[in-house]
Amino acid sequence: MKRIVVEGLKYKYPLADSLALNDVTFDIKQGEFIGIIGKNLAGKSTLCQALVGLVPHFYKGAYGGKVFVGGLEVKNHSIADISLKVGMVFQNPFTQVTGSKMTVYEEIAFGLENIGVPRSEIIERIDSVLNLLKIEQVKDHNPFDLSGGQMQRMAIASIIAMKPDILVLDEPTSQLDPAGSEEVFQAIQSLSKQGITVILAEHKMEKIAQYCDRVLLLNNGKVVDFDTPGKVFSREDLEEKGVTAPVYTRVCKALGVKKAGTDEYPVTLEEAERVLRGDGA
Amino acid sequence: MKSISLYEEGTSFVHDVDPITKLWYIPFAILIPIILPLFTVSFLLIGLSLALLLAAKVIRKTIPVFGFVFLILITVVLIQGMFKPENETVLFQIGPLTMYKEGLLFALTITLRVINIIGAFMILVLTTKPSDLVEALVRKGMSPRIGYVVVSVFQIIPEMMATMSTITDAQRARGMETEGKLLVRIKAFLPLLGPVVLGSLINTKERAMALEVRGFNSQAPKTFLYEEKTYQFSKILQMGMLLLTVAAVVWRIFL
Ligand SMILES: Nc1ncnc2c1ncn2[C@@H]1O[C@H](COP(=O)(O)OP(=O)(O)OP(=O)(O)O)[C@@H](O)[C@H]1O
Ligand SMILES: [Mg+2]
Repeated sequence: MKRIVVEGLKYKYPLADSLALNDVTFDIKQGEFIGIIGKNLAGKSTLCQALVGLVPHFYKGAYGGKVFVGGLEVKNHSIADISLKVGMVFQNPFTQVTGSKMTVYEEIAFGLENIGVPRSEIIERIDSVLNLLKIEQVKDHNPFDLSGGQMQRMAIASIIAMKPDILVLDEPTSQLDPAGSEEVFQAIQSLSKQGITVILAEHKMEKIAQYCDRVLLLNNGKVVDFDTPGKVFSREDLEEKGVTAPVYTRVCKALGVKKAGTDEYPVTLEEAERVLRGDGA
Repeated sequence: MKSISLYEEGTSFVHDVDPITKLWYIPFAILIPIILPLFTVSFLLIGLSLALLLAAKVIRKTIPVFGFVFLILITVVLIQGMFKPENETVLFQIGPLTMYKEGLLFALTITLRVINIIGAFMILVLTTKPSDLVEALVRKGMSPRIGYVVVSVFQIIPEMMATMSTITDAQRARGMETEGKLLVRIKAFLPLLGPVVLGSLINTKERAMALEVRGFNSQAPKTFLYEEKTYQFSKILQMGMLLLTVAAVVWRIFL
């Protein structure tokens, strides 16, 4: 079942001279874990925002083509309606703090109160996301007193609590240390396994390679490729597009070892290990 | 975190009174002395407000406010006492300055009114959590957006001040003088405005987007994390104040 269909999407920010998204077409099935990669200003954030309706409803600007998310055509529905189906976590955790709540617990409740979730269920959902993102120990702290990483976990928890079918995350682990990023990715993966469709823009290629089913490579607002991590990271023109492949891929490329029977280089530690040991033995 | 709210946590019975009742107490305390312009009435109400502030153990927090107000009131007393046009009866003389009875009585009326109003406001401000007051008002039908703006101001302004001091620190570390004479301070303050103002504009835009995706403009009827607090005696207190006001009006008209 297709959860997201994008057809010929073109978008220009007001006052901008060039298109931020230029003829973008792709579709995503229910439960897929999709990575969006590309150099700075490639259009990753813009594409993420086009999936929740911030593009075009929040910014206005010139918009062409069609975007369907969970059966709704974005152009014809309000952000409030779309946000019941699509949750979005932004790059900057600080500006996602509402500023109207005194504790992390209340902060997570904010979205649930707005969409009218009954009280008993609010409490259940908060307890479960606090546990999922491992922030129970700060639940009574003031949101502004958290560290960047904790704030980022809280931002993700706040959206997950709203139980969207589709979860869009724009560099959700920029403030987290490696161990913290790993924990957050695991949490997102567990949601993906429950059938939630995940779209994640990220610069950490090792993580993309490890967790994503497919990778969408953007450059100057255009889709360059949309395929498995193995295929995308094995492209010869990757550097030209401003993307550096995962370190395992680069090592194997330098050594000239490909995965047996394919034209792809390994993209994760496990794959590289298998290939290199297999070769060595 | 620093807060700009003056709210003082406490467990007194004043803290436990419904915020809406405390809100009603303000017009009550203002109206009664206007309806019944007797010094006794004003003194009674001030006494009541002070007693409540004492019971709430927040009287010390009122001292700076009252101190500031007294400073202004002293000028009122001097000017009215000496120069009110109706002044006739000399009360006393200090050197060349003559104080008159009419002016002083008028100044006393003003002073009592002001103290009374401030006292009533202080009860609300010092013993009510701003978010509790707003939540109570939203439940009564106030727009949640207005509620959001009011509550967030209490948190976001201290945040901006914190950003300001971070930038000041950074500039001081780079050798900029930020302390000393007024001119030096102003010179240090101006370059701050750019980053802080620009930064808060960008923040505001991003925060608005984040609020959107969290259903801020949702048409669904809002629910609340906390159960509606039930306050004892709310109705009795509110009815009591209403009855007293009516009684005051009746008294004024018929007696
Ligand atoms: N609010 C805006 N107004 C005008 N132009 C914008 C705005 N936001 C982004 N752009 C432009 O749109 C294009 C795509 O930017 P976008 O932020 O989507 O890139 P990105 O891939 O998310 O980059 P990064 O990796 O830095 O997050 C850029 O040319 C950028 O200058
Ligand atoms: Mg971005």
